[in-house]
Amino acid sequence: MSDHHNNQPLGFYADNPEWTTPESINEELVARHEAKSKYFKPILLALGVGVILGVIGLILRLVDGVSDTSKWGYTAAVLAFLLTTASAAPMVAIAPRIAKGHWRRIISRPAEMWSAAGLISLLLFIPMLWVLPSLEDGRRSLWFYHPGEVFAYSPHLWMTLSLVGLVILGFALLWISALPDFALLRDRAEAGSKERKRYTWLARNWTGATGDWIWQKHRLGIVGALYFLMLITVHFLFSVDFLMTLVPAWIDALYPATHAVHALQAGAATMIITMFILRRFCGYKEIGHDQFWGLGKLMFALSLMWFWFWMSSFMVYWYGKRPNEQQVLELFVKGPYLPLFYANFILVFVVPLFTMIWNFLRRSIWGPTLISVSVLIGIFFDRIRVYVAAYSVSDQSAEFHGIKTIPPTVYPDVADVFIVIGAITAPILVYMLISRVVPIINIWEQKELLLYKLHKKYHRATVMVLGKPE
Amino acid sequence: MISSRSVIALFKDVDSAADALDAVRAGGFESDEYEILTGTPYPEGAFGEDEPKHGLYRYPLVGAACGFIMGLIITAGTQLAYPLVTGGKPILSVPPMSVIMYEGTMLGSIIFTVIGVIIESRLPRVFMGAYDTRVTEGYIGITVTTSEEKISKAEEILKKTKPEDLKRGWEQKDFD
Repeated sequence: MSDHHNNQPLGFYADNPEWTTPESINEELVARHEAKSKYFKPILLALGVGVILGVIGLILRLVDGVSDTSKWGYTAAVLAFLLTTASAAPMVAIAPRIAKGHWRRIISRPAEMWSAAGLISLLLFIPMLWVLPSLEDGRRSLWFYHPGEVFAYSPHLWMTLSLVGLVILGFALLWISALPDFALLRDRAEAGSKERKRYTWLARNWTGATGDWIWQKHRLGIVGALYFLMLITVHFLFSVDFLMTLVPAWIDALYPATHAVHALQAGAATMIITMFILRRFCGYKEIGHDQFWGLGKLMFALSLMWFWFWMSSFMVYWYGKRPNEQQVLELFVKGPYLPLFYANFILVFVVPLFTMIWNFLRRSIWGPTLISVSVLIGIFFDRIRVYVAAYSVSDQSAEFHGIKTIPPTVYPDVADVFIVIGAITAPILVYMLISRVVPIINIWEQKELLLYKLHKKYHRATVMVLGKPE
Repeated sequence: MISSRSVIALFKDVDSAADALDAVRAGGFESDEYEILTGTPYPEGAFGEDEPKHGLYRYPLVGAACGFIMGLIITAGTQLAYPLVTGGKPILSVPPMSVIMYEGTMLGSIIFTVIGVIIESRLPRVFMGAYDTRVTEGYIGITVTTSEEKISKAEEILKKTKPEDLKRGWEQKDFD
């Protein structure tokens, strides 16, 4: 594999040419972890204000009660947005690790740290349990229900279990991945210090025995695979029970998969923006072209898939043309949310397609970052478009399998704006707080890379040689 | 009463550590008496150590068998309990039954694999054993945990391999 820059130094080193020994990696990455930026506290404070606004918004919303679903559309939309972005970002660590892609080493920890944001999704989900009507309202659902005999809250139960499962798996993934780094920080902390106690507790007697490493590798693989399965389950259940069943006649077997594919696309976009911030503002210059290029290609492919999924669903309704199918199109595409649909279509599909086809943009740092911003805004509009529209449908009766009247556009009020601000700032706040405990770069994976990566001369070129131990 | 004692020798490079491990093995110590401690996941066998034994492969096999049997019992049992002829097909029609049996097989193997990983992971590790904080700084530790009678022999062997440091570690006294 030829390096991008022929002037790279020769020899064994990890993702930074100065990281030539385990000691140098430890020194530099631990120092970076312990360093405190002067901007850290002001940013934390600003995010804290956002979270307080979110809590106020949620209280205002709760004061209005939970019986009118149309008031909760924006809350559901921003919750879906979190599940689509922050909760999907750990896939950037999981998938390339399973595929043994070495380029992910420098970004695997930042990706795993997003799993902590699942906690915010879980908190935001609690009021939604009261907002979603029970199956007693007669709407069509995946679940069995019979008055007096079969439980009417199956959607609430299964979604809660799957979301709790996702959060637990996310934390387990982060903890297992960080165990060797916790041990390093434990060993470096002063005896009797607060840090020593914290990391002794977190490292759980990790010694670095061969058995520890083997089982850490196995656990990472299995927990990662389960996280992926649970992420898909969460998207499947949330899109079916907390979205589709609220709209009579919205019967689309493909949509839950579409919802999950959006998550993979938005997860990649979230990570590209995270990488940019870490590189530009936090001094992690090691996150470079390889990572932006690798994820950019993935996001490009997922943007093309976005169109495939959308078109496959759209065609069924477009050619079906039954009155209730036309109503679904009217609600989500042609009617009150048409501007949002256009924005969504352009930002999530057209912009990535016509920009990422150019090599110079795809292989740059700024290109994928700007396109990721476009994708995230587009996905945000998409979630507002479908969730706010679906929650504004008031007639859930199964007697008429269609929407009697298309509800008008629901605009956000002050409470909605506060909730959206809070829901977006809270995961970032959690992420920043976690970064004070967990090193943001996977130290042990860099030391492992040192064993396998060699830069050497090949005739007149400099090439990178990667060892594959398995 | 059985007492266990442990000793740790620290090395700076892989070859010295591998040579020390060879010496420990040649001294008659079994694979469950010594361990290699590293701050980096070296490829398996880098120190000439034995491949760790595990029985993880048994779990998905047993799980798959259980899941298959459950699938068979559910499909055959319900159809025999409520014998409704559908589309002129036999009561026990294999093609539709195979779908549930397949799902049961998969589900059983996944659940048993997860259980197997938890069991085989030896969670949680209660004692740290012999340890030195220099392991996370790049040193390689060879530990020998053995009976009180054999610990001096282990110490002697390790001393001959010229480690950077050699020290006694954790001591366990338990009742058997």
